[in-house]
Amino acid sequence: MIDIRNVTKIFKTKSSDIQAVDDVSMNVTQGEIFGVIGYSGAGKSTLIRLLNGLELPSSGDVVIGEDVISKMSKPDLRKKRQKVSMIFQHFNLLWSRTVAENISFPLEIAGVPKKERQKRVQELVELVGLTGREDNYPSQLSGGQKQRVGIARALSNEPKVLLCDEATSALDPETTDEVLDLLVKIRDEMNLTIVLITHEMHVIRKICDRGAVMENGRIVETGPVLKLFQNPEHSVTKRFVKDDINDEETALSFDEVRELFPTSQILKFGFVGSQSKAPIVSQVVKKYDLDLNILSGNIKRTNNESYGHLYVAIDVDDDTLERLKTELSDHDVTVEVEDK
Amino acid sequence: MNEMIKELTTMFSFENVKWDAVWEATYETLYMTVVATAFTFIFGIILGIILFLASKSEVKASKPVYGVTAFLVNLFRAIPFIILIILLIPFTKVLMGTIMGPNGAIPALIIGSAPFYARLVEIGLKEIDKGVIEAAESMGAGTWTIIWKVLLPESMPALISGITVTAIMLVGSTAIAGVIGAGGLGNLAYMVGFTRNQSDVTLVATIVILIIVFIIQIAGDFFSKAVDKR
Ligand SMILES: Nc1ncnc2c1ncn2[C@@H]1O[C@H](COP(=O)(O)OP(=O)(O)OP(=O)(O)O)[C@@H](O)[C@H]1O
Ligand SMILES: [Mg+2]
Repeated sequence: MIDIRNVTKIFKTKSSDIQAVDDVSMNVTQGEIFGVIGYSGAGKSTLIRLLNGLELPSSGDVVIGEDVISKMSKPDLRKKRQKVSMIFQHFNLLWSRTVAENISFPLEIAGVPKKERQKRVQELVELVGLTGREDNYPSQLSGGQKQRVGIARALSNEPKVLLCDEATSALDPETTDEVLDLLVKIRDEMNLTIVLITHEMHVIRKICDRGAVMENGRIVETGPVLKLFQNPEHSVTKRFVKDDINDEETALSFDEVRELFPTSQILKFGFVGSQSKAPIVSQVVKKYDLDLNILSGNIKRTNNESYGHLYVAIDVDDDTLERLKTELSDHDVTVEVEDK
Repeated sequence: MNEMIKELTTMFSFENVKWDAVWEATYETLYMTVVATAFTFIFGIILGIILFLASKSEVKASKPVYGVTAFLVNLFRAIPFIILIILLIPFTKVLMGTIMGPNGAIPALIIGSAPFYARLVEIGLKEIDKGVIEAAESMGAGTWTIIWKVLLPESMPALISGITVTAIMLVGSTAIAGVIGAGGLGNLAYMVGFTRNQSDVTLVATIVILIIVFIIQIAGDFFSKAVDKR
């Protein structure tokens, strides 16, 4: 659906040239929710703006459907943008228009007759759960409600692709979850392809199918979301994953455990999917008659699977440890020994 | 001392005031103000939009457009109004067929105030959230749509408060124009009040001008608030 081929974007400023996007290639399939994560200044916004031609690449091509965005004429591009719509971190609603009028705006641009516009606006107001607020002005709405208007507005011309630039970054955690749920719902109902960028790993974890990690204009790692979380390779990915599960406190308590039980080993069990529900660890521990001290555990859900880990302190000789490892890995549970 | 008391008594006696002349002058002042304000509003917005679009556009041709427009705007803003009237006499003669009376003053009033208002429009447009303009672009809006449906409505409170200030300035300018023959309350105050030494007429002219200014200010504040839904 979306194909980005060796795209580079250089901003020429008076003092220097800034390479915001550096030889990026990626593709997004129809119906997928694709997340791009990176720290501030990584080039995420620039990348997503290349997708609807708000920025033009310095080299490389951006293809959406059959159209090469980077080579379209202005009128064609404007037409195309009706099908590749966008929502924003700060909502960017027109304060001079009511909720209904804001949602109607893209329809006016597309030249839809008034009767139809009103009908469509009503449907969208219901879809995003804002019934009764049609005649309010944006200043009368909460952040979450404003983003709902933003989403409704973006959907009014029945787009194929929805681009989300930090769409939840200005919202509190609960509202973020509501908006994310809404995104999944509209993806399912309208068979949308969604590209979202964020600096919050849990956004990727909650709703994305695949993700890419950006640093200094480059994509440093990409893959299915579960893989990124379970087996992050690049240091930036690791940092994001770590921030998401909040490992700092665990590391701290390890030191205490080591002082209390100098002979124990600290192990990390990792699970995916159904294993995280079966009592495998408990069975194995019983079998070898081991004592174990649970230090911390964690199960997280991605959009379609859960994964987790368990830190334990356990008193074993190296021999038993090896057998334990083999047995558990037969059940797809990974075992890592934490360094002293 | 006696002199002064005498002056004051004449001033407040209103014995020299011919009320039909006052009405006539008030009408002329209002006529000049309303017509000049209306045209200033239109030309100022057009110039302001040109300045705004040219300053932010990446198209090569926009640089000279901005340069020329900004130069003309600054030039006409810098010329003192009284000199502008004199300077424009040949132009006014051709355009209006006369250089006397209210109609003779209108071209100079507009040319004097439109550049001033254009700058206020430009400032108002610059205050629009860039994200909103970008959102409109991301929906496929063209320049005209953005002008009509984003720039103008989103800057309306600033456009209205700007035209309020400009209209009040124009009332002042009509009075100056009045002195050199444009009619209106300024003319009344000068020709009758000053040259015939009838200070009560000057006082009446002043009061009427103040009332006009207050009404403009109150109406401007009201409308600018009414359209502001932020
Ligand atoms: N119009 C521009 N002109 C010059 N430099 C720009 C422009 N837009 C972005 N940049 C630069 O490109 C780089 C990437 O910016 P970008 O906005 O894409 O980052 P980001 O990943 O979205 O960051 P954030 O999370 O803070 O939004 C930055 O160094 C930025 O300064
Ligand atoms: Mg950004």
